[in-house]
Amino acid sequence: MTVKTAPAALERPGRAFALQGLVRVTLRLHRPALRFWLLYVAVAACALLWIYGFALDAAFGTFSRSGCRERVVEQACDYSGTERAQLGFAESVARRLIGLVPLFAAAWAGGSLIGRELERDTAQLAWTQSVTPTRWLAAKLAVPAALLVTGTVLLTLLHRLMWDRHSELWGSAGTWEWNQSSYFVANGTLATAYALLGLAVGALAGLLARRSLPALGIAVVALLTLASVISSLRPHLWPAETLTRKTGYPQQSTGMVVGDGVITSSGSRVPDPYCAYDECRAARDVVGYYRDYHPSSHFWPLQLMETGIVLAVTAAATAAAFWLLRRRTA
Amino acid sequence: MSDTAMAAAGLGKRFGRRKGWALRECAFRLPAGRVCAVVGPNGAGKSTLLAHAAGLLRPTEGTLTVLGTSPAAARERMAYVAQDKPLHPQLTVAETLRWGREMNPRRWDRAVAERVVADGALDLDAKIRVLSGGQRTRVALALALGKRPELLLLDEPMADLDPLARHELMGTLMADAAEHGTTVVMSSHVVAELEGSCDHVLLIGSGRVRLAGPLDDLLTAHTLVTGPAADLDGHTVIESRTTGRQTTALIRPGGRLAGTWQRTTPTLEELVLAHLRSPEAPSLHLDSDDADDPAEPVEAAV
Repeated sequence: MTVKTAPAALERPGRAFALQGLVRVTLRLHRPALRFWLLYVAVAACALLWIYGFALDAAFGTFSRSGCRERVVEQACDYSGTERAQLGFAESVARRLIGLVPLFAAAWAGGSLIGRELERDTAQLAWTQSVTPTRWLAAKLAVPAALLVTGTVLLTLLHRLMWDRHSELWGSAGTWEWNQSSYFVANGTLATAYALLGLAVGALAGLLARRSLPALGIAVVALLTLASVISSLRPHLWPAETLTRKTGYPQQSTGMVVGDGVITSSGSRVPDPYCAYDECRAARDVVGYYRDYHPSSHFWPLQLMETGIVLAVTAAATAAAFWLLRRRTA
Repeated sequence: MSDTAMAAAGLGKRFGRRKGWALRECAFRLPAGRVCAVVGPNGAGKSTLLAHAAGLLRPTEGTLTVLGTSPAAARERMAYVAQDKPLHPQLTVAETLRWGREMNPRRWDRAVAERVVADGALDLDAKIRVLSGGQRTRVALALALGKRPELLLLDEPMADLDPLARHELMGTLMADAAEHGTTVVMSSHVVAELEGSCDHVLLIGSGRVRLAGPLDDLLTAHTLVTGPAADLDGHTVIESRTTGRQTTALIRPGGRLAGTWQRTTPTLEELVLAHLRSPEAPSLHLDSDDADDPAEPVEAAV
């Protein structure tokens, strides 16, 4: 992009140029963060690709040759072998990298993107150029948001690729649980939604604290609190399915369990009295056991409901940030 | 272009409910094309006033108009250099100028900005964080002048500069302002720094406007009298000191002065100091619309 003008003449380019300029300015000011993010995505992506293309097959090869495949009950042989260990390590690193994105986003947005600019008065410097505070904040949020979405969507897709390959090879003998929180987040839209929540919460913390370090602290604590509250709601975001059995709990271990207990003759659900014998059950009017759970087919409904909630909270935090900024400046 | 660069009516600002007023009932009018000195002691409210003009703060009460409109609407047409000269430390000088161009796409005058930097023999590839205070001030000024503002707001621009750098930068600034007819509003607690370059004065004390008007009018409205202690009835006495039988007083003459008094016109510094030492002295506004005379050409003298 070159704009040639005579040295003495005022440059009067159009609106599109102004917008591009604001994007370039934002990227240039946060070059170290941009480099860090590219490296971060590259490391996680390489790990996922390596697992997908090599580690899964290698581990499955040793797994098959050992004969463990036929004897699933003997758990000890599931976890042996160098290939298996390498796979486990790489897979947990990649998954945790995806899971930590929101935390990094919140800390950076609070501490560096907004907090440091307000602390050093460079935000005020920007607001006394031709850019309104609102547009300044919009650029500050939009540019990192676009990069975060691109990166997390890429990682999610690669993670799904790896996940599908794993299911294909291991089938029911696999040990990866779809409902385990870090898999659940990395396999769907939540990885991206939580990353955006981190950015919004960080920006709001920066505007509230107006100083780098306190903003970083507030952002991290607020994000962890919000994330734990929202994810505690997870099992209740979609109607669960119920299994019942006369004596003892239904065998259902591969789903997300919402709750269980015993059923009385009147059909009401009560807490388990932990009876070992029929006499005990009869005395306590226990006629059966129930367990509410989500089968793996509930993955997307649960995923999308939670994504909706996370994005709503993100929107609220963003609106609060703009409101705060407008209230303070002319 | 409006002929009023800046006007305040009942302007007040309070930070937080329990703290006192940083500005209270400020009213003044600054004609366009002037070089206005905002003087007053530390903590008087000079920075608060300039930050309002720059659109960085919202008044608690009253209004402040800039270039005939609100500070927010005049954002593109004015430049502001804050007291601590904030700049992005991670950028180089050249990158800072490019930042200025991209933040002011419709107004940027690259030649002016580059000339201000070149006059200081600054290395364009040096990071802002390694620059001295004077060099930073020069880059901040280059950003402000590159915007080619109609109104230039400078908060303590020359603080922490050595006399030579101060003289050079003031020269650059005044030459540019004179060339383009820029209105300059410059605050300082060092009055001597402004005398000789300003033609309009705004004296702020304890958040209120004490004196406002063209420098010459303000000076001629006051007289410094010396003589044997005698009655000064009929005149407004700003400050009076008696040593032995000799009295020195700064007054606003209210009629004929007795012949026993030796009279001189005060300097800006004497005027300012006398008013600051006497907080109860009545304020004087010589900037009302009807008393306005056509703005005189800005002197570029330093």
